[in-house]
Amino acid sequence: MGKINDTLEELRRLAGVKGAAVVMVDGLVAAESLDERYRSEVVAGLTSYLLMTTNRSLREGGLGECAQFVLHATHGRVMFLALREAFLVVVFDQFADLPAVSVDVQEAAQRIRQLTQMA
Amino acid sequence: MHLIQRMKIWKELRRLEQRAREQPSPSTFVDLGQVYINLETHDKAQRVAEDGLALFPKAMELRKLLACARRGVRRQRAAELRAKLTRSPNPKLYRELAQLQIGLGETGDLHATCQEWSVRYPDDAGAWLVLGQARLVGFYRDLSAREGQEAVRCLDLAVQMDGEETEARRLLGEVLYRIGAVRVATQHLQVLQKLDTGDAELAALLRHVGTLVDHGDDVDALLAAVEEHGCLAHPSMAATASPLRAEESLARIRDSLAHVAELAGVQKATYIKGSRALVKGAIRDGRDPFLRVVRVVAKAAHRFARRLDIGSASKSVVDGDFGHICVCVYGEVIAGVQCTAGTDLEVVLAELQEIVAGSLYSTEAGD
Repeated sequence: MGKINDTLEELRRLAGVKGAAVVMVDGLVAAESLDERYRSEVVAGLTSYLLMTTNRSLREGGLGECAQFVLHATHGRVMFLALREAFLVVVFDQFADLPAVSVDVQEAAQRIRQLTQMA
Repeated sequence: MHLIQRMKIWKELRRLEQRAREQPSPSTFVDLGQVYINLETHDKAQRVAEDGLALFPKAMELRKLLACARRGVRRQRAAELRAKLTRSPNPKLYRELAQLQIGLGETGDLHATCQEWSVRYPDDAGAWLVLGQARLVGFYRDLSAREGQEAVRCLDLAVQMDGEETEARRLLGEVLYRIGAVRVATQHLQVLQKLDTGDAELAALLRHVGTLVDHGDDVDALLAAVEEHGCLAHPSMAATASPLRAEESLARIRDSLAHVAELAGVQKATYIKGSRALVKGAIRDGRDPFLRVVRVVAKAAHRFARRLDIGSASKSVVDGDFGHICVCVYGEVIAGVQCTAGTDLEVVLAELQEIVAGSLYSTEAGD
């Protein structure tokens, strides 16, 4: 778990990142490094709601599952990446240049996938 | 700048200008505009972008160049005004500077300007009017209750300070009826009518407001309801002006949707308002799962953003084996697209955003 936390800490150092967390599909927090304004259980619960709802509608339509979800809001942006039975959630401020940091986020997700596989 | 450097830039400019004339393309105009921006001659960059857009009206990079150049022109003007204000302050200059700062989205600077303005001229209601306008822009964009409360407070102050301040009263009346406080809004508009009896537009607005249902006088509660539901209680007068205008607007949405559906990689496109949907591309019927996914994603993203307190969800992109599903939302209007992997999502999202922004004043849309 230490290495996953290290990966999340590294993500925190990217430009515009306000926090990152690994959230289980049922809404439990596996690891987190979030700005103090975000409560981890709230982020986890909302992530579970958003991705479970999206995945259900995608499956019902025969479209499979969501691999990545990017949400742009007025005061922030959020990137969700599917892991095994979990999601990596990265919260950005509204000025973040997502294309510029996307590769780093993808790499972090890949590292977490490998770490969870080893565990 | 050294003479040699200036000569080099001048030579480069000559070359790019010639290229723009002989082989016009969006990238040629962008290169030329970029040089002007680097030289801080934003007015020339603006002219280049406008010339380019006349030839390539759909070029995204030229639109970005135009926006950048315009911002530069405004910043230069703001710096000039700031210098003038230091030498000889007057309310007219403060007003112009504050309006420029609204356009630039420089909220911090705007507040500083208005604070200075109200300290120097405490009897001038202008500072509160401009602050109210800035807050209103934020409120109509995000439908955030906090912005709405501030807008109403500032405009109310402006009206109290100067009972004959028509602009503040009109804006106050408009925002109040849009959120449902029809009775209070009518009072403001009636006062406005007494101040200017010959205003035909105001008379029409009063007739329009007269047809609306009053939801009470508790402005805070009404603003909270707007934020919760993500839409205003009543449409603007422009939106309900005439069936003909609504028809024109619907035709425009159809054309825009057809244009999006023709973009490389786009398979399905839809425009949804309430229970009605316009569709283009490979969609069988109203039961197509894509339509349901778009609705679900829009609603879930809206809830997520609200509960996380990051404002309104405006754009969402879902990726999977199916490619991408892009969704743009504004209030109760949704535009969505399904496209293949490798599609230029920036272009698609910009087009969707234009559709939802352009359709704000059409309430009768539907198929």
